[in-house]
Amino acid sequence: MRLSLLLGLTGLGLMIAAPLGLPPFAMTLLTELVILGLFAMSLDLMVGYTRLVSFGHAAAYGLGAYASGYLLLNTQTPLPFVVILAALLTGVIALGVGWVCTQATGVSFSMLTLAFAQLLYAIAFKWTSVTGGSDGLAGIPRRPGPLGLTALTTKAGFYYFALGCLVIAFLFCKVLVSSPFGAVLRGIRENEAKTLALGYNTRLYKIAVVAISYALGGLAGALYAPFAGFANTELLFWLFSGQVLIMVIVGGSGTLIGPILGAAFFMMLEHQLSSYTEAWALFFGLVFIAFVLFAPEGIWGLISRWGRRGAVAEVKGGQHG
Amino acid sequence: MSNLAFLLTQLVNALSQAALLFFLGVGLTLIFGIMRIVNFAHGTLYMLGAFLGYSLLHHTGSFWAALLVAPVIVGLLGTLFELTILRQLYRRDAHAFLMVTFGLALITGEAVRLIWGSDALQVPPPPQLAGVVFMLDEPFPVYRLFLAGAGIVVALAIWQLLERTRLGLLIRATSQNPEMVHALGVDVNLVRSGVFGIGCGLAALGGVLAAPLVTAAHGMAATAVIDAFVIVIIGGMGSFLGSLIGALLVALVQVFGNYYLPDFALAFMYLLMLLVLVVRPGGLLGKEA
Repeated sequence: MRLSLLLGLTGLGLMIAAPLGLPPFAMTLLTELVILGLFAMSLDLMVGYTRLVSFGHAAAYGLGAYASGYLLLNTQTPLPFVVILAALLTGVIALGVGWVCTQATGVSFSMLTLAFAQLLYAIAFKWTSVTGGSDGLAGIPRRPGPLGLTALTTKAGFYYFALGCLVIAFLFCKVLVSSPFGAVLRGIRENEAKTLALGYNTRLYKIAVVAISYALGGLAGALYAPFAGFANTELLFWLFSGQVLIMVIVGGSGTLIGPILGAAFFMMLEHQLSSYTEAWALFFGLVFIAFVLFAPEGIWGLISRWGRRGAVAEVKGGQHG
Repeated sequence: MSNLAFLLTQLVNALSQAALLFFLGVGLTLIFGIMRIVNFAHGTLYMLGAFLGYSLLHHTGSFWAALLVAPVIVGLLGTLFELTILRQLYRRDAHAFLMVTFGLALITGEAVRLIWGSDALQVPPPPQLAGVVFMLDEPFPVYRLFLAGAGIVVALAIWQLLERTRLGLLIRATSQNPEMVHALGVDVNLVRSGVFGIGCGLAALGGVLAAPLVTAAHGMAATAVIDAFVIVIIGGMGSFLGSLIGALLVALVQVFGNYYLPDFALAFMYLLMLLVLVVRPGGLLGKEA
């Protein structure tokens, strides 16, 4: 625990200091990493804490991105409000998604979430007047404000805004999973029938966690649209849902911080490999398979295991001395 | 065009579409029934079948050789994957399978791109099946008629395999209770390897057969895996008959949807799936999930 706090604070410190030393191109990557990390972390609430394995989390990202893109293009609403509105809208829609999807459990739940994401994908393709169809929404601006505040529209300003969102969301999730609500979620993960028998309406808890998870995923998407300047159907595609699930699992599910590391690992790997070889996806696939076989607890699992081993060694050394 | 002729051609059209979807869905459902895993790589194996079909056709000059050999190659690759990777994971949860098959999908997709390039490749149908026939005075491609026939033949063959042979018995028994089958002295792992191979081979068979209609292209992988999921979910995971019904329903929705409301055809498929799942969460013929 102490190790994770230390690492977390060091990481945060580095992230805050980053704009001082990094070239603009690296800043762009780092901003994307923050957004993707937020997205992966939002999925962890469902996958890691409740064992609701969503195959369709791209739906949350895409909804958030399209909502924020549409608002920025068609209204004068300042950026921070747009982002919050888009996240709330995603959360409200997710109440419906959660209601339908939690009719089922296990693999059927995964498939239902996938169906919803694909339905949205189909809609985004055809509802051209709102979504821009296959072209998507392009030229999404970062509207200044409120009160004429323009700091958020710069590269570094937007980065800090995204980082702020990630930190707040992380703290929110941390509090959530340590609360009695989080205890019920873990109860559902370990044994839903028992949790139900204890008198908890597990269905309501599951709908709630789906809504919260989607809202945070929507927040990430809402940040992505003004960051990239566009929103297209790729953001809703099932491949993206698969990728974010892999970020969560490679990073270490049920840890909140793990998925953020998973997103970073995913992005760095993609970036590095694609600069060496055109066939990066091939190595990508091999790395994933290797992770499943040899490090099922994920990156964060490896780090904390290493940390524990260090602690144990210290205690042993102390006893000898 | 008379109404009757229109209906007939659209129905046969849907039947040929259903055949392709069935090859995808039945493999996925057999694999799920036996191994409880969702094979994310199913679509890329379908695509691999199409590209292998292209090369075999060019080397041998015979579509029929391609049709026979490509599924065997893909089936063997699938078996190899089961033996080396999947076998180590049966004690782990569904996450593990999801990830390794997603990894397999990435690897296969990229390998296809490296070997055959990024362009779509034309695969002509065999000369015997290239023309059109007249049904109620309406021209209709012979190849689609052949596909519908192939679908019926393969469906009957798999049905007979499941119901009448010892392998079929083992497959059904393993999907019901693997521990019991194991206790009776059957090597369950061998059944799993076999079924995974057969499922992958069926996907490749669908790929070879689809190639003359849609060309061998990279885009077909994503569409195929989603279609296969939808079929299996509608029919019920693990149910053979369910995958047949699912394939027919999806094909009907696709064909008639594309004709009457092309803008909504894609959405109809997912709406159908949602509707089925809300009414019967385990799919039409699946166990309650």
